[in-house]
Amino acid sequence: MLALDAVRFAYPGASSEYRFTMDAMAGEVTAIRGQSGSGKSTLLDLIAGFLTPASGTIRIDGSDVTTLPPETRPVSILFQSETLFEHLSAARNVALGLPRADADRVGAALTEVGLAGMGGQRASTLSGGQKQRVALARTLLRNRPVLLLDEPFSALDDETRATTRELVLSLTQKHKWATLLVTHHADDIAAIAQRVYLLENGELELSR
Amino acid sequence: MALAVAALIAVLFSAIVGAAASQPPLAAARYDLGYLLWITTAQATLSTLFSLIVGIALAWALNRLRFPGRNLVVGLFASAIVTPGLIVAFGLLSVWGRNGWLSRSSDALFGAPLDISIFGLGGVVAAHIILDGAFAARILLARLDALPEARLKTGQSLALSGWQRFTIIDWPAMRGTLPGLGAVIFLLAFTSFPIVLLLGGGPAVQTLEVAIYSAVRLDFDLNAAVTLALAQIAVCAAIILLSSAFSPIPTSLSQPAAMHWCDSIAARSGQWFVLVLCLLGFGLPLVAVLGDGLTGALSLAASASFWNAILTSLGIATASAVLALVLSLAVAASRAASSLRWFRIAVGVPAYAYLAVPAVALSLGAFLFVRELGIAPETAAPLVVIVANALLALPFALATLGPAFDAIVRSRGKLMRSIGLSGARQFREIEWPILAGDIGIVVALAFCFSLGDLGVIALFGTQDFVTLPLYMLRALGAYRTNDAAAVAALMLVLTIAAFVLIPRLFERLGRARA
Repeated sequence: MLALDAVRFAYPGASSEYRFTMDAMAGEVTAIRGQSGSGKSTLLDLIAGFLTPASGTIRIDGSDVTTLPPETRPVSILFQSETLFEHLSAARNVALGLPRADADRVGAALTEVGLAGMGGQRASTLSGGQKQRVALARTLLRNRPVLLLDEPFSALDDETRATTRELVLSLTQKHKWATLLVTHHADDIAAIAQRVYLLENGELELSR
Repeated sequence: MALAVAALIAVLFSAIVGAAASQPPLAAARYDLGYLLWITTAQATLSTLFSLIVGIALAWALNRLRFPGRNLVVGLFASAIVTPGLIVAFGLLSVWGRNGWLSRSSDALFGAPLDISIFGLGGVVAAHIILDGAFAARILLARLDALPEARLKTGQSLALSGWQRFTIIDWPAMRGTLPGLGAVIFLLAFTSFPIVLLLGGGPAVQTLEVAIYSAVRLDFDLNAAVTLALAQIAVCAAIILLSSAFSPIPTSLSQPAAMHWCDSIAARSGQWFVLVLCLLGFGLPLVAVLGDGLTGALSLAASASFWNAILTSLGIATASAVLALVLSLAVAASRAASSLRWFRIAVGVPAYAYLAVPAVALSLGAFLFVRELGIAPETAAPLVVIVANALLALPFALATLGPAFDAIVRSRGKLMRSIGLSGARQFREIEWPILAGDIGIVVALAFCFSLGDLGVIALFGTQDFVTLPLYMLRALGAYRTNDAAAVAALMLVLTIAAFVLIPRLFERLGRARA
């Protein structure tokens, strides 16, 4: 499980400050909603280790990760775009999830996300939905307890979006990830989130 | 305006072809064209290869390191595009020459001077690496700085190693630029004039450009010059045609992404090593030019011919910059206003064609043309030098303004038409406030190119019509090294000041309008 306790952060020169306290349970999707510029991506950057809080603690499964660098945090992250390295094949993108990933494990991960046999395809030739599935396959291989999703469905059409978010939900439940979904789409939240926080004026408020 | 640009190139080219047709077929017999082509190509290939390697390493180091004064260091390397080759060659002599800093230091410390000759192929390639390596680094750094933050975050959260980051993220971002960038560097080295003139060390290592100059100015052999110029134009045109198939070089220089990548200690040490080495390689010759220049400055201040050269240089550079700006604005605006592919090509090609015409060849064409008209070359000299310098800056000016004008038309074209904006009012209200910075860069580039030009003035200079580069060359020829050093230092200061201040001035003027 993921827990933020009185995490405070301010950008240099900014007058306002963010104050984050929240929990995200294993096996659940926790949604963060808020207007553009409300600090949703800042929250994810703090959890992923791209930003360091001024004070407060971030715990994952009880361990304090507040000062760990991004590469050693037990966290996977998916963005709306740039989730894959386009010049590499789908399989090589997935294999980046582990220092030494064998072909069987890569193939199994791709199969689990519904892309069996597509490992040899170059990432640049995949559709938006397929790219997100490849990124999820890489997440499977990494198998970190926290999955951060930064508007991951925004660039997808309605049908692909529905199937991709269902996939996210089922993987979250199956692998007991604490998944944090940042979005401003109410239908995404309604479809897969068990818990919802509203981010307003730099603070999180549990709304469901 | 585009027609005038095309007509000029046609006139100059036909002057060269006309002169070639009226000459006996073996005009270039005393110049071994085959050897000249071979040595020029070999020199340009080595320069390109090493410049790209240095450029990649330096861009990698600058992209990763954050330190106070980083912007200043990046600006220093960016100034390589306008630093005259003559100054770099002179700086190399000041550091590595027989009487240079290193040799004198070695003599003082160990009792023996350094036994290294900076003359010949090694010196020429070294000077090109300094200039073109820094230029390549600035272009490649723009690619790395423009990497999407999400891609970097994904890479970092995947714990990519330094080598993985380079092969998976950096190299794909840079490799598309390398063929086009390599072609430009090859062209610059292939047509190199002042560097080869100063550091070539004799006929064994020279470029076609230097051979043309020697044929006209030293041997008075116009036949040979014409043949060499045609060979030069043919090779340059072939390279440009070849390189046009590659992706273009980005013209805008981006800000580094806010995210900072944490490298290993070994990688970080490598980055500092590369940066310090490049700073020494690029900065030391320039520091030497400034240091040595102080010694000769006082004696020169009393020379009327020196002041005359300064005024001539500033006047020519200002006029060239204004002309280059007017021409590039006219061509860029008319290209952007049309969606017809053939029209855009017809308007743009003549301007870019000046890339294929090196300075000495262009100067030779002008020389032959004014002679045909019965005008004494010294009478036409100021006008020819101004026009030739403006034309030589035109491809760079258009590469800066063209995409910017296109972007304005793409994003605001319909809006501007719907409210009836056009012509001068459109420029005043819309384009000038947006493009003032780019326009300042064009003016600065053209001003600096002209200020450091030796190729055109070398053929048209007279006893009374002397610019700073020609004054410096003559001082070197007369073994007045202190005078040459003082002129080099002054040119360096003027170039850097113009490159830094002119764009800022234009940006401020643009903001005032907005």
